[in-house]
Amino acid sequence: MTAADEVLYEAVQHEVVRMLVEVVGDDFLLETAVGPETTLNDDLALESIEFVALAERLHDRYGARADLAALVAGLDLDQIMRMTVGDLVEHIASRQPAGV
Amino acid sequence: MPEVTARGTRFHVQTIEPRGGPAPCSAGPPPTVVFVHGLVMDNLSSFYSTLAWPVAAAGARAVLYDLRGHGRSERTPTGYGAADAVADLFALLDELGHRRPVHLVANSFGGLIALNAALARPDRVAGLVLIEAHGPAERPVEWSEEMLNSLGKFGLVLEYEELAGRLMDTGDRRHGKQVATAEALVNGTTLIEDLAAARPVPPAALATLACPVLAVYGEHSGLAGTGRLLLRSVPGCTLHIMAGHAHTVLREGTAELLEVMLPWLSHHAGTKVPAAVNGVAP
Repeated sequence: MTAADEVLYEAVQHEVVRMLVEVVGDDFLLETAVGPETTLNDDLALESIEFVALAERLHDRYGARADLAALVAGLDLDQIMRMTVGDLVEHIASRQPAGV
Repeated sequence: MPEVTARGTRFHVQTIEPRGGPAPCSAGPPPTVVFVHGLVMDNLSSFYSTLAWPVAAAGARAVLYDLRGHGRSERTPTGYGAADAVADLFALLDELGHRRPVHLVANSFGGLIALNAALARPDRVAGLVLIEAHGPAERPVEWSEEMLNSLGKFGLVLEYEELAGRLMDTGDRRHGKQVATAEALVNGTTLIEDLAAARPVPPAALATLACPVLAVYGEHSGLAGTGRLLLRSVPGCTLHIMAGHAHTVLREGTAELLEVMLPWLSHHAGTKVPAAVNGVAP
């Protein structure tokens, strides 16, 4: 991974964690407690309706580049919920144009 | 969160715009497909994660909403009968500006709402996809008793066991929240009594349905007889029985459901048939 990639991944991760805190509520979740290994299902206990809210925020922030169709339609709900924060960041970051 | 106020109530709505351009032979605006979920523990996410994106990829606008009191929609104290649910649906479509006829895709108890909507406003409903749908019955008494037994027991159990609190205590946040929501709905609103007043759709009414209907039921579902009743009674009904499945076909049989539903929608709504369904590599 190049230095530019690292900056991009870090920025996307920051955004994804912020969105998760918004969706789940900061009474349950502290931003510092969420890292790339955190799973949506076991660690965050994300409800499926909360995943919809997260997807909506990703779409608002990244538009078509979030490629939610590939994320949602390619996986069943159990697979989606087994993802880690790192998987989600990878999905978004790998679809961003270079240098952003 | 996209919210729409209709009939004085806040509804959570998600719209997925059509993707990948119009169908080759289509003219005019894309068809609108509206998804109607089941009761109490259900919300729009069960369609969001299964059928909605593939339907949008086929060229339709997918509209998903949380029923009154469910998901992220407002939990009003009253207003849970079938007539209110039908009025909610059309008021929402008005607010969203969808005045052309729509196709409704309904799961479980959403079927009762979708059937009543099609009977009430045949000018606004162009077709129905009923997945493991409650609603049609030959004998109203048995139907009501069966439905209320299942819902009523659920409410009593929740109250007696204070399940939500216990789950929260053990750190099971997700199930605790889901159960707390269900508990508030079953024990804190008129949902049960409103449904007690609901009547099933009898064969004579089914026979007047003007739009085409695709009914999908699990082979081992307790509702399989409802599917056969639809086939016998509705003039334009196609019945698909999913081998090996029970009531949970939406979640557990998504791929097969899409294989049946997308060509049906293509025929009746003018959407595209995805390459994979045609047996041609994308």
